[in-house]
Amino acid sequence: MNTTPYIYTFLLAIISSCLIDNVVLSRFYGICPFIGVSKKVKSAFSMGVAVTFVIILAALICWPLYHFVLLPLQIPFMDILTYILVIASLVQIVGLFIKKFSAPLYQSFGIYLPLITTNCAVLGVVQTNTDTALSFGLSMANAIGTSLGFLLVIVLFSTMRERIEEYNGNKAFKGVPIALISAAILAMAFMGLMGIGAK
Amino acid sequence: MSDTLRLVIAIGVILFLLATFIVTFILYKRTPAPKGCENMGPNKERCKNCEMSCHLNIYADRKENE
Amino acid sequence: MSERSLQHKESFITPILKQNPLFVSILGTCPALAVTKSLEASFGMGLLFTFVVCCSNVLISALRKLIPEEVRTPCYIVIIAAFVTITRMLTEAFLPELYSSLGVFLALLVVNCIVLGRAEAFASKNSVFDSLLDGLGNGVGYTWAICLIGVIREILGTGMITFGKIFTFIPLFRIPILKALDGSFNYSMSVFSLPTGGFIVFGLILAVIAAIEGRKKAKEKIKLQAEMKAAVKGEK
Repeated sequence: MNTTPYIYTFLLAIISSCLIDNVVLSRFYGICPFIGVSKKVKSAFSMGVAVTFVIILAALICWPLYHFVLLPLQIPFMDILTYILVIASLVQIVGLFIKKFSAPLYQSFGIYLPLITTNCAVLGVVQTNTDTALSFGLSMANAIGTSLGFLLVIVLFSTMRERIEEYNGNKAFKGVPIALISAAILAMAFMGLMGIGAK
Repeated sequence: MSDTLRLVIAIGVILFLLATFIVTFILYKRTPAPKGCENMGPNKERCKNCEMSCHLNIYADRKENE
Repeated sequence: MSERSLQHKESFITPILKQNPLFVSILGTCPALAVTKSLEASFGMGLLFTFVVCCSNVLISALRKLIPEEVRTPCYIVIIAAFVTITRMLTEAFLPELYSSLGVFLALLVVNCIVLGRAEAFASKNSVFDSLLDGLGNGVGYTWAICLIGVIREILGTGMITFGKIFTFIPLFRIPILKALDGSFNYSMSVFSLPTGGFIVFGLILAVIAAIEGRKKAKEKIKLQAEMKAAVKGEK
């Protein structure tokens, strides 16, 4: 019988979705902003923090929405539409707050805000939470782990990219291709964490 | 719960979410940007060749390729 | 009349090569790295993507005069979500292996940058037929792009191309292509089936394309300089 206290399962789930099954390097969720926004560490960090915020809030709202509204009404197939509406509204609300209360934050990633709606990571996490019928605690662990994993990887990658900017090898590789190859090496490094505990 | 009641509530939920989205969307667009950030946004000349919607062009700040 | 048909042809041909959504605009990369472990899955994804983008383009173009300017994006998102839900249900019913192999990436078509991008940039301004052609063009372009990645990853990763695992109406057969070093067919360089391989293959393909573009530009530059020299000589 499993006598592990729940808190351990919770923490292990966070670590596994953050490091072991990393959202970008293993599950391939947030690739568009991963390649596009990671040129400067500052904007990468802001993007990561904003995405963290949105993922956690979205998971917090969408899980109860699915289990207490969609399932009793027997319309589970409407999950895609409801999730995307919730996520998009959340992004607009977060944007509203930033616009009104923090000009420097708006300056650093104001133009990336609409991109968070189309970030595969947000919808991906929320969708897998209900597709794989996780409990609420594990869903939140998944969300927290995913968002922290995204933040970690995008900041790591942006520091790598700032160095790669001075690349003067073969011209064909300049820009995105060499960034992708470096991402491949980063993915290999994260692969080394496979096998630590089970999800 | 009868079938028609479920249908009505379901449509109501979806419409409520859609209304929330539209309201927050319009509110966001109509809130003026803080001072100094008015003309932020992807550089339109640079992304005119991509034929994709500019706000989705994540390479808006990409330098021109030689 | 001929200008119209030229425009039609252009909206179909351009996204296939010149403005390929994956290799030139680098959009829609999430499924391009995740489902391309095998050729069949990539092809299935491309097919569903084409269906979604065509349907949403057509409907959005048909409604383009009715949707108020301010609420365009929400309406597009709702229309695209509706079509993705329909696609998901149809796939679950008729192609269940494809459905289980694509997993959540079928639902992620809703936030695929290409679908939303074409809707906002093209379908909101052009006629229904043009939008249909544009959708087909983007679909074909995206499909061949991810099939290219898929075939490279599958051949290098498992040494053979497997047909019939996902489209089960095809009998299962394998085309062995690469042999292991000991002559048997137990080849597998699994790095290409792993996420690392996805990044590598995608990066290499983009580098090859950049190299081809660079060479083309260099040739044009040389031609231009030769023409200028000839013009200067001609003046003298």
